[in-house]
Amino acid sequence: MDIGLPKRVIEIEPASLPVPEPAPILEPSVDPLPEPVPEPVPGSEPIRVPEPVPESVAR
Amino acid sequence: MKTAASVVPRLPVEVEAEPILAWRSWTLTGRRDGEGLLMRPVTAGSRAWRPREVAQATCRLAWSHEAPNADCSCGLHATREVDLLRRTRCPAVLGRVALWGRVIEHEHGYRARFAYPQRLRLICQFCFWQGSAAASKPDVVSWYARDLLVPMCVHHLGVAEANGMRPRRILPAGIVDLRLRETYAVDALAF
Repeated sequence: MDIGLPKRVIEIEPASLPVPEPAPILEPSVDPLPEPVPEPVPGSEPIRVPEPVPESVAR
Repeated sequence: MKTAASVVPRLPVEVEAEPILAWRSWTLTGRRDGEGLLMRPVTAGSRAWRPREVAQATCRLAWSHEAPNADCSCGLHATREVDLLRRTRCPAVLGRVALWGRVIEHEHGYRARFAYPQRLRLICQFCFWQGSAAASKPDVVSWYARDLLVPMCVHHLGVAEANGMRPRRILPAGIVDLRLRETYAVDALAF
């Protein structure tokens, strides 16, 4: 492709560059949901936590 | 010390504030699903024009001058008239580009330091060679080896297949055209 002979030099400093903004990085708009807590099944017995054994007894 | 004299008469230098708009064509590569589109100069071995990044001219003689240089052919080329691009090799995308920085104006076009496309559209290169840009709307985009994408009208797809250029996959041109403009964040080129 022949564009012919050079005629002049133009120094162009545009006020704003004709280039689009970088692509946005998509992030979640809200905080992530908390971990789900299992609900107690109705009618089931509560979980019994064993009481700590006194040191003087447990040897 | 003896220095090489310029073969080009000293050119007048002018300062302007608005980018120059000119015509340009590119080849196109992308994956088989039409993603990862990348426009490349029709000249083999030149750097690809990356989406949302300013294209910057370089020269193999960078040790001696910055591109574009009046005594060299370096720089990002664009033409004043679209029909001049009909002589380029394998054009797949036609567009208007903004040129700025140091721009050397020639009789029929420009060589610039910086550029970015402003409007783009796919073309059937075979229609473009035979007719005009306005009559070169493609119907499909053929995917070939080395991720080469070639937009074609249905007629020239048949001609290509009849001559042993069977594409590995055929994509709808409308979808690739839209995806190209979204990738480079530019408007459609209308005729």
